[in-house]
Amino acid sequence: MRLLLVEDDEQLAARLSDRLRGADFAVDVARSREEGEAWPDMDKMAAVVLDLGLPDGTGMDLLKYWRQRKVDCPILILTARGSWQDKVEGLNAGADDFVVKPVRFEELLARLHALLRRQSGHRDTWIEEAGIRLDPVARDVQCDGEPLALSKQEFRLLNLFIRRPGQILSQADIGEHLYDLDSHRDLNAVEVLVSRLRRKIGAERIRTVRGLGYRFGK
Amino acid sequence: MTAVSGEQNRRWHWRSLRVRILLATLLWVALGIGGIWYSATRLFAKHVEASYHDELKVHIKELAGLVKVEPDGTLRMDRPLSDPRYLVPLSGFYWQVSLEGHETIRSASMTRGSLDESVAHDSTIHHHVEKGPSGPTITYGFIRDVPGAGEVHYVIATDERLLDETIASFTRELTVWLIALACALVATGFLVVTFGLRPLDRLASATARLRAGTARELEGDYPTEIAPLVADLNAFIDRSRETVARARVEAGNLAHALRTPLAVITDEAERLAQTERTSRSAQTLLEQSQIMVQQIEYQLARARSGASARSPGMASRIEEVLPPILSAMHRLHAGKTFAVHQPEGLDTAVPVDPVDLSELLAILLDNAGKWGRSEVSIGMEEAPEGLLVRIADDGPGLAAEQAAEAFRIGTRFDPGIPGSGLGLAIAKDIAVAYGMTIELCPRGDGRSGLEVRLTISRA
Repeated sequence: MRLLLVEDDEQLAARLSDRLRGADFAVDVARSREEGEAWPDMDKMAAVVLDLGLPDGTGMDLLKYWRQRKVDCPILILTARGSWQDKVEGLNAGADDFVVKPVRFEELLARLHALLRRQSGHRDTWIEEAGIRLDPVARDVQCDGEPLALSKQEFRLLNLFIRRPGQILSQADIGEHLYDLDSHRDLNAVEVLVSRLRRKIGAERIRTVRGLGYRFGK
Repeated sequence: MTAVSGEQNRRWHWRSLRVRILLATLLWVALGIGGIWYSATRLFAKHVEASYHDELKVHIKELAGLVKVEPDGTLRMDRPLSDPRYLVPLSGFYWQVSLEGHETIRSASMTRGSLDESVAHDSTIHHHVEKGPSGPTITYGFIRDVPGAGEVHYVIATDERLLDETIASFTRELTVWLIALACALVATGFLVVTFGLRPLDRLASATARLRAGTARELEGDYPTEIAPLVADLNAFIDRSRETVARARVEAGNLAHALRTPLAVITDEAERLAQTERTSRSAQTLLEQSQIMVQQIEYQLARARSGASARSPGMASRIEEVLPPILSAMHRLHAGKTFAVHQPEGLDTAVPVDPVDLSELLAILLDNAGKWGRSEVSIGMEEAPEGLLVRIADDGPGLAAEQAAEAFRIGTRFDPGIPGSGLGLAIAKDIAVAYGMTIELCPRGDGRSGLEVRLTISRA
């Protein structure tokens, strides 16, 4: 899943994006309000982590800008300003959660996954569809009750499919959700990845819809 | 005690300017009027006595002129004294003329008794008080030697009561008038004090409104003597407010400046913790970073609320502060209800800075939202000490010993629930800074859960 991190501090942005990638997110980084407003494919973002203190304006304004333009992905504010005045303003401007720096990465990750679960209508920490049970925080997968070992890319792909059961995802959609803007998006690589995942979870769980893409679900 | 009766008590306290001026007026009027009364009655008595003496001396001389001594020594009067009171029986005006060895003649008014002739012992007119026909009399007398007849004793008297009655009547009338004048002067003094001090009363009411949080500055028009003071006070309040706002921004900037490097340190420590060789050092770094963060957050919150609480003109209404917080809580604690119970007509104005009140209520509501299973209720009611706000959740509640610990810095009863362990400590500090009381107790309605009772003083 793709995630946009808006953070002006270069060192912190590099560290956070690095760790988020390690947690199976494809991470894009914007360093200013202007960059955030101009971001081309916000509709492909699973979530946004937004710093409030930006060099060319407040993150609050960026948040309002996105919400006015119907960007509906969960937005988590990560800020050094810890007063409830800021929290209340941020939450009422459309943020879904608020985390004050510095935060332990586990907590940030747990909050992000909680937002993603809420977004997809799941209440539990794990997601279960079509006999597959996936825990995005523990990165644990079971197929028909049996543990299943997946590579990082396979896990990302399954994580994308399992949140969209019954939906048709094209190779381009999958590429946009799995890879950040800087990555080279090779559609053949997507096809190979889908084939590998099919072999592990069963071909009947990922069907090809000719000319359109793939559909997950029995 | 109601605010009105409290205001009345202050107005009539013995140290109030009003009471002092009125007491001074009362004293001055009492001394002045008393002095006038004393000197006027004394002067009048002296004047009346002198008039009596003069009048009676004239009467006795007239008597001496009217009484004839016959060659045989008989005393005779051709016509009565010009004053008719000597003709009215027991009128209090008497005369008596005697010649030794002859019949004494008396005024028609003296129907009984006689006058003591001892006062007439030489040719000079003397007077003294004697017992007369109708009580004590002031008696005048002298002797005239009539050749061939002897010494004729002329005595004239008037009842002392007549003089006393005249003086008493004047004194009575004067007293009534002076009492009326004193009352008028005191009433005028009261009106002057009331009218003159009315601007100060308005200033006191404006100050009370400022203190109670229903006004943000001293409102109203004041006389030229007070207006500069009011303007200065309002300017001071504005400056205080600006100082608090600036302090908040600076506190936020400081927090930002410290927390971002701390976030990098924390991240580095977490990475180091993954390596066995450096994990112990990393743990120390993480723990110390956590302590630094707590201290920064706690001290900044204290500085923010402390600065506001010492500033005048802080005012907010709970019904205005609460809605954005509740909206934020609905997002933070999706699926849980936050029900507000506010009695109709309840005044929720409190003398607390809106930002601090928001911070305080948000901490308490977030805490209740974290622990509550499905519902958080916010109740408000008037209490003797001020406005009582009850925030109750339907969570597991706290044991008595846990409740005692809850306000300490860093207290976290469930590490699984996100939080810094600072919220209630900061809430307590804000409450203390504003003189509020805050306590944790079991729910008042008997249901399981925890209730926070926050009492906000109106003054």
